This record gives sequence, structure tokens and C-alpha cells, in this order.
Amino acid sequence: MRKIVDKATRGTLIFLMAFLVINVVWQVFSRYILNAPSTFTDELARFLLIWVSLLGVAYLSGQNAHISIDLLQNKLNPAGKMRLQILINSLIIAFAFFVLVVGGGHLVYLTFVFTQLTPTLQIPMAYIYLIGPICGLLVIYYKLSDIRRLLSDGYDTFPADLDKSRIQTGP
Amino acid sequence: MELLILIVSFFILLIIGVPVGWALGISGILTLLTGLDSMTALTTFGQQFMTSLDSFTLLAIPFFILAGQIMNRGGIAQRLIDFAKSLIGSLPGGLAHINVVAAMLFGAIAGSSVAAASAIGSILNPRMKEEGYSKEFSAAINVTSSSMGLVIPPSNILIIYSLASGGTSIAALFIAGYIPGILTGLFLMIIAGVWAVRKKFPVGEKTAIKKILKSFLAAVPSLLLLIIVIGGIVAGIFTATEAAAIAVVYCLVLAFYYREISHKDLPAILMSSIATTSIVMLLIAASISMSWVMSFANLPQDISAALLALSDNKIVILIIINLILLVVGMFMDMTPAVLIFTPIFLPVVAELGVDPVHFGIIMIMNLCIGICTPPVGTLLFVGVSIAETTIVKVIRPLLPLFVGMLFALLLVTFWEDLSLFLPRFFDLM
Amino acid sequence: SKEQQGEQKTIILAHAMHATHPVTLGMNYMTERLEEISDGRLTVKTYPTSQLGGERELLELVQIGTVGITKVSGAALENIVPAARVFSLPYLFRDEEHYRKVVDGDIGREILDAGTAFRLKGIAYYDAGFRSFYTVDRPIITPDDLRGLKIRVQPSVMAINLIRAYGGSATPLAYGELYTAFQGGIVDGAENNPPSFYSSRHYEVTNYYIINEHTAVPDFLVISTPLWESLTEQEQQWLQEAIDESVHYQRVLWDESVLESMEAVKAAGVEVIYPDKEPFRERVMPIYDTFRESYPDLYQLVERIREIE
Ligand code: NA
Ligand code: NA
Repeated sequence: MRKIVDKATRGTLIFLMAFLVINVVWQVFSRYILNAPSTFTDELARFLLIWVSLLGVAYLSGQNAHISIDLLQNKLNPAGKMRLQILINSLIIAFAFFVLVVGGGHLVYLTFVFTQLTPTLQIPMAYIYLIGPICGLLVIYYKLSDIRRLLSDGYDTFPADLDKSRIQTGP
Repeated sequence: MELLILIVSFFILLIIGVPVGWALGISGILTLLTGLDSMTALTTFGQQFMTSLDSFTLLAIPFFILAGQIMNRGGIAQRLIDFAKSLIGSLPGGLAHINVVAAMLFGAIAGSSVAAASAIGSILNPRMKEEGYSKEFSAAINVTSSSMGLVIPPSNILIIYSLASGGTSIAALFIAGYIPGILTGLFLMIIAGVWAVRKKFPVGEKTAIKKILKSFLAAVPSLLLLIIVIGGIVAGIFTATEAAAIAVVYCLVLAFYYREISHKDLPAILMSSIATTSIVMLLIAASISMSWVMSFANLPQDISAALLALSDNKIVILIIINLILLVVGMFMDMTPAVLIFTPIFLPVVAELGVDPVHFGIIMIMNLCIGICTPPVGTLLFVGVSIAETTIVKVIRPLLPLFVGMLFALLLVTFWEDLSLFLPRFFDLM
Repeated sequence: SKEQQGEQKTIILAHAMHATHPVTLGMNYMTERLEEISDGRLTVKTYPTSQLGGERELLELVQIGTVGITKVSGAALENIVPAARVFSLPYLFRDEEHYRKVVDGDIGREILDAGTAFRLKGIAYYDAGFRSFYTVDRPIITPDDLRGLKIRVQPSVMAINLIRAYGGSATPLAYGELYTAFQGGIVDGAENNPPSFYSSRHYEVTNYYIINEHTAVPDFLVISTPLWESLTEQEQQWLQEAIDESVHYQRVLWDESVLESMEAVKAAGVEVIYPDKEPFRERVMPIYDTFRESYPDLYQLVERIREIE
């Protein structure tokens, strides 16, 4: 299951990022070569960046790759480490639920019922904000699955250190 | 009260090992919950978390990281660095100096410090590592020198200061930044040189003219990239952010031409730049949201009012202001700090006879240090993430560099000619 | 005692203008008067200069309930409140007198009230003057002179269509990046009212200011509908009174500011051109046809505005 979620998220991220590059190159091309500046690319680029960033944030939290300070971690015995990891993951779940899912979801709701359109693309702003709850749900999924793995397998198998070479980037 | 909740919760979360970005977010929302009803607070924080990433300028981060990764895989970077090294030859800490000058120049032209740190860091870090420099030292030198791009014109933050100060001449501010920015860069180079000698980092050999020519020829296609990027920005063909996207395309073409990457490598290269970018973006989203909470709770205003009441001596007040800006810069992002503190401090220093142009440079130099300091610093986050190291480890090599920056700041604060000579000379004020 | 005086309330006002802008001074006057009229029972806490966000975000914060009152341009409001779109139509008003008659009259009230359903009840218009072109290299005498020029526009469909109607290339660009974009030559021109042309310091890097006055998009003072409804009748009266006074005060300030700004940019060497406005007006009339097709309901407002003498 987790592998499928990982793969789907990675695929989406790679697609969005490639789209983002093409979009900005087109912005320069249309302005400088065609002398007919495209008027939507600026807005599209900014919204794509929000999507790529937050989806990436969720993916990386699944890879335990966000920067942390591991002063206390190193001083504990394995059982203590496990309890601490469960606490940390629970705090992240709480933040993701209350701020990204509830708060972000409420914002999606507000911008949808009081239809706010984006200035140039004229699409509902709610579509852009939708990434908030999506990111939140993904983070919750990853962290719950981490907690489950900790409880069943113990701390030793848990990749807690930041080591970027461990981030899975391949297809 | 809010200040207490904010700081105490943040440090507890940091110490128990919650990732810095989530820790910033959690303590930010806890603080906001004390001032607003829960649904309002949660929705507001959710909004800030997302809209803080709504910026065309931030796009430079993923693009330059991407370009850097392609350059490194494609051998483009190696050819460029070989040429630069053959030029400076036997200077101690050769690559470190290249890093300072490149990051400063790039930041100066692009007007964006994160663009500079992303571009120069992702090109130079792997090479510096090969030569035995520690990742932490490379990151430290990269972020501090990239920050000077905000003092040396053009600089969007100086434009924001101009607006916040009620219309200080941008032309004057721009030209006032040259001497302080370059002076700081020189201090950074001296410190990097001393550090390199003490740590016995490799010293390059003097290179024969023939060899220089040879490495120049090999580097021509790579140099063309610099000409396209920098020339394009200067000639007004594209902005710094757009230049990053152009750099990606050019590097791809070149890397395909050298046959050092194939289309099968592309997804992994894209994903790897997304990974670095997203680490930075969580930190940026959370720290800008926390800055918003601080503004909303009026913390900066309250602290300043209390401290400014302590004295009316010009030197004491200027020192207090510098200290407030330095401490605030540790926790707050640059743009909100400029918007909040300019209207508070400018009337105070104007009364003491400090020119608004001079004060603008003092303020931006302070906040340039701030974006490089832990625990919250946008530029620091970028540098640490690109160098694949941690904030704690970078503190040690950052300290001597901060001393250099502080010394430059002190000089600029109390010797107004460093800022005002050029604008006066060109009759801009 | 406190019971006799009633509850003391503080309203949060957040906006994106800098401290010395005439609209800011108008709002400051409103908050001072409100405190005086209500004898300190209704006060305002102000967050200026985008401290809480740009205009789009501030509108959301009003809807969320974090901010009580905000000031936004009609160009920002129109993406939520459709009725505000009419103000973005070029040459909608014959002159300043016509503009003021409209916003002070029934139609003005109607458009303010249109925000109520979106939690964004309009409570006043502040003057934001007439917008005109400014360019780096080319003096504009007739609309044809705009052909091929890259003109920075606000992110708005109407603004983009306006530039296209003149044959120019509409270039959306963040306002904060515009100054350096002029220096680099990424854009050839932009458009704004005189006080903003002056305070943004864009006159340092441009040479011609062409007073063609294509649009007059007012600034809106907007209050959160639930907040308004939570106020007692007495408090609503106090607020309305303070606002009405500030509107008159702001108009005087605005007119002064326009004169001062024009003097200042001329003194700085900008050549000010007063072209024949008629060809500029004629050229954009097709925009009204598109507008009628897209927003048939709103087009009735346009016809009513035209009827006002
Ligand atoms: Na710069
Ligand atoms: Na900092």
C-alpha cells in the first residue's frame, strides 16, 4: 500500500515539476521571441509551486527527510527512542490534521461557496487551496503508518537520521 | 504571554527532535490559538501556510537546484570550476573564495539571495567536498556571501524598504549598497582564507598560461551558460527567476550533447531537486506563518517600544536598534521585519539625524545576518538543505563569518560615508 | 461604570497601503473620529503596509473573521464580488464629477451592498483617482503609439484586454518587481494614478507620463458581514458617521496629493503629456461588447451609470 502511495505521489510530483519548467520557459519565449507575452504563466507558475512544494513536503515526511535536531534522540535507549518517535509523529499528525485538513479544508470551503476566482486564469481559488488538505491527509497517512511500523517492528528498523541518499527518487 | 508560549514551545519541540519546520508550525498555531477562537486561528494559519509559498521569487529555488544537479551530472560544472581554479591559482582556500565571489556576484545581479545560494551551492558544494572542505563550511560560506546580493543592487528588499519608509529614493538606496556589500564580502573572504589555512585546506598550484587557455577552451560552452544567464538578466530579456528556468533548459541540452545524461535519468534528477526544494519549502512556509503570528500578536512593536525607552543617546539607540534587528532576524523573515520595523525605527533615528538611505542599508545588513542565523533563517535553510547537512553542524563554521559581518555592520552603522558617499557623489540625495 | 457605558469593542483594520498614502491618512482619520464619536467605546487597531498580507489574502482574512475591516482596490474585490467588475471598464465615467455622482448615489450603494452575501460588506469608497500610462522611451500621443510596447498590468482580465485593445503586449508582473523591470528593460511601460506613480518612485526610471485617464477604479472599505451584524444599531451609526467624515476628508487629501505628485514628477524631469482622450476612448469600446456577452446582468449597471447626468 505505502509503495503505491509513494509511487503515485512521486509520479505526480515529477509531472508537476516538468510542467512548471516548461511553463516558465514558455513565459520567456512568448514575451521575448513571439513578442506576445503570455498572461497566464506567471499565475500558473506560482500556483504550481504551491502544489509541488506541499505535495513534496508530504512525500518527504514519508521519507523522514525533514531537517531536525537530534540532541535528545541520541541519549535515549531503544525503548525511549521508540516512545519519543511515537510522540513526535503524533505531534506532526495533530498539526497536519488541525491546520492543514481542518483549517485548510475550511479555507477551501470558504473560497468555494463565496466563489473566489484567480485574477488571470479565472479558475476557483479553492482548487489551489485544495493542496492543503491533500498534503495534510498524506502526512497523516505516512505518520500513522510509521507509528504502526514502530509498534510492530521496534525502533531499530526505523530510518530516523537525515540521510538524503536514502530518499527514494527513482521510479 | 504570547512571546513566552511561542519561544518555550518552539524550543521544547526542537529539543525533543520534532523536525524544525513542523516545530515552527506547531508553536505558531499554539500562539495564535491564545488570541483567536479555534476555527478562525486554524483557518488563518492554514491560509498563511499556503500563501507564504505564493511567490514568483521562490521559484528560483527549485530551478537553480535543478540546473545545478544537471550541471554536476553533465560535467558542465567541472569544466567551469577547473577554469576558475586555474585563474586564481595558489590563493589559500581557492574554492572558498570562488564561492564568495560567485555567490556575491550572482546574488547582486539576480537580486535574490536564495537564487544565489541555490545556484552557486548546488554547483560548488560537490567540488568543495572532493577537495576536502567540510559540507558545513561550504554551506556557511555560501549562505553568508549570498546574502550580500540583497545589499548590492538591484535588490527587491531595498524597494520594499523604500515603500515602507514612505518613499526613500530607490536610486539612492541602490547605489548606497555597493560599498557596504563589497566590504562585507571582503571580510568574508579574509575569514575564509584564514580558516582554510588553519584547517589546511588544499592550496591550488600556480597554473601556466597554456594550461589556463586549455581549461578556458574546455569551459567555453559552460561559460556560455553564465553569459546567457547573467547577460539575459542584465539585458532585460528575463528576470532572475526566469533565468533559472532558461538555465535548466540550456544545461539539459548541453548535458545531452556531452552524452553524460540520458532521458532515462530525468525523472530521478527532477525528483531529487524536488526533494531538496520541499525540505526548504516546509521551513519557509512555517517560518513565514510564524512571522505572521508575531506581527498579529504585535510582538515586534511591543519589544521595540520597551527597549527604545531605555535611552536617548544616539550611539546607545543605534546599538539597541541593531540588537533588536539581530535578535528579531533570528526568528523572523526579512520582508515582514522590514514592513514592521521601518515605521517604528525610522522616526526615532531621523530625530537623531540618521539619513533614511543610511538607515535602510543598516537595516538590510542586519536582516541579512538574520536570514543566515538559526533557528529561523530562509537562506540558512536553503544552504543547509543543498549541502545536505544540519543546522546544528553549520553553526560552528558560521560563527567566525558572523563576526566578520557584524564588524562590517558596525562600521556601516557608525561611519555614514560608507553608505552615503556614493549617492552624494552622484547627486542622488 | 462599565455596564452603563456598554461593552468596549476593538475592530481590527488591516490594509496594504504604506503609511503616508492619502488613503491611509483617510483611514487613520476614520479611526480617530470613531474613537471620539463613540467616546472610546469603539476603537480600531490598524495593521498597515501588508503586515497581515496582500489585498487578496486580506479579503480572505475578513471572510475567515480574523480581520474586521480591510481596504482593497476594486480590482482585487472583483474576483469575489462580481458587481465590482464594472469599475474596471475603461472610460466608464465621463469625468471626475460623473464618477463621484455614481459612487455617492444609489448605484454606488448597490455595489457596496453586493458584497454582503460574500461576508464582505462594502461600507465606503475612497478615491483612487484616474489611471494613466507611463513609459520609459516612447512618448504616447495617440493609441497607436502603444503598439508593440510591453506594458505591465495588474493581474486582471480586464486590464489585459485593455492593453491588447491598444495593440500593446500586456505583461503581468509583481508590483514590487516593476522598478527593476524598468531598469532592465523587461517592460516598456505601466499604468497608475499620479500618487502611486510618485510614491512607487517609478518616475526615477521612466520618462513620460501620459494623462489619458483610462480607468477610475475606486478603493473599497469592506467590513466582515457577521461583524457588522454583531454591532448594535448605535455602534453601526458611529462607524458609519466616522466613515462618511473620512470619505470627505480623504477626497480633499487625494486631490492635494494628485497636485503634489504631478509637481514632483515634473520637477524630477518626467515629461507629462496631455493627449486627446477621444481616440483612446473609441479604441476600447469593443471591450463593452465582450463585457455584455460575459456578464449580461452587470451590463445593466453600465447602462444605468451612463444615464447619470
Ligand atoms: Na542585488
Ligand atoms: Na535567523
